[in-house]
Amino acid sequence: RILNSSSQLSSLPLQILFYVNGIYYIFYFLATLAMIVYKSQVFSYPDEFLAPDLAVLFLMAMLEVPRLYLGCKGNLREEEAALGLSLGLTVGSVVLSVYLLAWQTYVLWADVVLTAVLLCAYGLESGLKVTAIAAFVS
Amino acid sequence: PADTRGAAPARAYSAPAPVTDVARLCVCDLLVAQCDISCCCDPDCSPEEFGLFTACSVPVVTGDSHLCRQKAAVYSLDVEANPPERIFQLTDQVNPSIFCIHATNYKQALYLRSPEMPTPENFDDLLNKFGSSAFNAEPESWTVDTDPPEANETQRYEYGLPIQTEDAFLRLPSPVVSSWCSDANPAGFLVNQATECIRSVSVEKCESTRALNMLFYINSSILAVSMFVFQVNISVQSVVVQSLAGTRTLLKGADVLRLPLILDGLCLNVVLGVSYHITYTDTGEIREAAAAFVLGAITKETLSIQQSFQISFTQADTKPVPLSGNPGYVVGLPVRAGFNPQGYPFPAEFLFAALASSHKHSQLSILQSTPTQDCLAAQGARAPVLFGHNVVSGCKLRITAAMKCQPLAQTLLDVLKGQSFPEYVASFGNSQAQDVLDWVPITHLHVSEQRIPNTLQSSCQIPVSFGIEVKWTKYGSLVNPQARIVNVTATLTTSTLKQLPSGRERTIPITSSVVFTDISSPAEPGYKAWPTISIKLPFDFFYPFV
Repeated sequence: RILNSSSQLSSLPLQILFYVNGIYYIFYFLATLAMIVYKSQVFSYPDEFLAPDLAVLFLMAMLEVPRLYLGCKGNLREEEAALGLSLGLTVGSVVLSVYLLAWQTYVLWADVVLTAVLLCAYGLESGLKVTAIAAFVS
Repeated sequence: PADTRGAAPARAYSAPAPVTDVARLCVCDLLVAQCDISCCCDPDCSPEEFGLFTACSVPVVTGDSHLCRQKAAVYSLDVEANPPERIFQLTDQVNPSIFCIHATNYKQALYLRSPEMPTPENFDDLLNKFGSSAFNAEPESWTVDTDPPEANETQRYEYGLPIQTEDAFLRLPSPVVSSWCSDANPAGFLVNQATECIRSVSVEKCESTRALNMLFYINSSILAVSMFVFQVNISVQSVVVQSLAGTRTLLKGADVLRLPLILDGLCLNVVLGVSYHITYTDTGEIREAAAAFVLGAITKETLSIQQSFQISFTQADTKPVPLSGNPGYVVGLPVRAGFNPQGYPFPAEFLFAALASSHKHSQLSILQSTPTQDCLAAQGARAPVLFGHNVVSGCKLRITAAMKCQPLAQTLLDVLKGQSFPEYVASFGNSQAQDVLDWVPITHLHVSEQRIPNTLQSSCQIPVSFGIEVKWTKYGSLVNPQARIVNVTATLTTSTLKQLPSGRERTIPITSSVVFTDISSPAEPGYKAWPTISIKLPFDFFYPFV
């Protein structure tokens, strides 16, 4: 087979987005953790409110790794199953980031900005994944 | 009572709801239905009152400044308008920081917490948490002191501890808040106190009023060591009876208890003053207690009397000599003086008889002015000479033709000098009788005022003025100079008594004074030596040539 763009089904924008998402997520995780520490020092942050926020953040971090890995693998190997699983995990990540955006104990303006950017990235990713799956399946 | 508690309905008490609306919140509105000065947000103020303000004490009312956007109520005064009016604006305040709070899902985040209202259910819980003298948010981190003091250990009295008696504490009534006596003041161990207070009395109730009764003050015996069984009875040391006119007489046979009794419309044996003397040992035990009473009488018209109470402590087996300074004299304390019966100087051992202050007769004293100002009726009222206090006192002498000069001179000398004028004055406040060199002899001077210079006959002279001049100096270190008496001069001025024609009388003033003069040598200027440059050339400086 000749490798040209018409027969290559893997999506290049999706791959770039995965790469950028990975780097951005590391930054997002560290920034959000630092802000939670700042909030606990400056404001009154009882333990029963601090625990869920930290739990959500770490859960999101734990979801992110398989999500990006499966997405990359599926996209490169043109496997729709892996990509579909990654899409499912993305839905979970979206729910958790919506929690961090709206239902956190203290939502700072910086939180809003960072999480909004993350949500945009997730949204764009999801769109590209759907297109890629459609391309792979057909 | 338990039955009423059960009958009360269980209502949920809660604190009033906090006001969080910025437009309605007014911190300076303290007076209800009245205008607060400079409070622009006060709804009780009328426009005329706004005209009297110069500025707003509360210009802005906002919530937490950490929020990104919040409502702010801005109050200002428009002084240009006539009449000046208050401007109220509700604006949005924006926090530009990137770390401003956009939203919170935690209700109490930015407000103070309302405390829990105690109910019968949570009372024990709250008492455990907040009942002690200190509490913090994490009660588990406090370490509890688990070793209680031993029950068998008897506590010695320490300074300031209330002296305990059989039933309660040794009472020393004193004025609390107002001048009325309060019987709840305990006497502290080793705390010398003297209090005076007013008590309301009436003749009808004087037998039943406990505080006017001698027994009230000596009834309960003092515990020798606090919380110990051994008790010390309060003995009656002396009883002085004061008449309605004010004269006091010491009663012989003081161990008789005199209780108030009503006689002829007077109530006798009313306690006017108590003076406690407590003897203690150096291990903190009370050995003896004695009380000296002043009893008086009240009439039907007396509505209130002034009672005075005093307590003093002496260490057992010691004889206290009050010092007037250690070592230098302290301003305001009496000048110590005494006699030397065997003459000074004398190599053999001699002791000064009767040190001052402990023996009233040998104190350096000065005539005290009386309201009647009559020298011959002076009755020996004398005031002690206090160090540093210059005093001038005097009296008026009425001379009639019938008075003989010689007895008059002797009487005046007694009036001016007192019964026993001392010979020596202590140089330091703590001079001991054995140290002869620490005592300064009093020099006497006699000045005679000659009215008519060419009187040849030696007419008799009467003393008209007596002045004591005490010269003192500063002794010791510059930082803490001690006052030391160097010289005492007593000057007696006499003048001739002119014979008066019969029927006439004259009044002459007699004065006595005490003056303290500081003769410390003044400071002399001194200069530091100029630094010298010592140049010495080395030995072999001019080597080849020398």
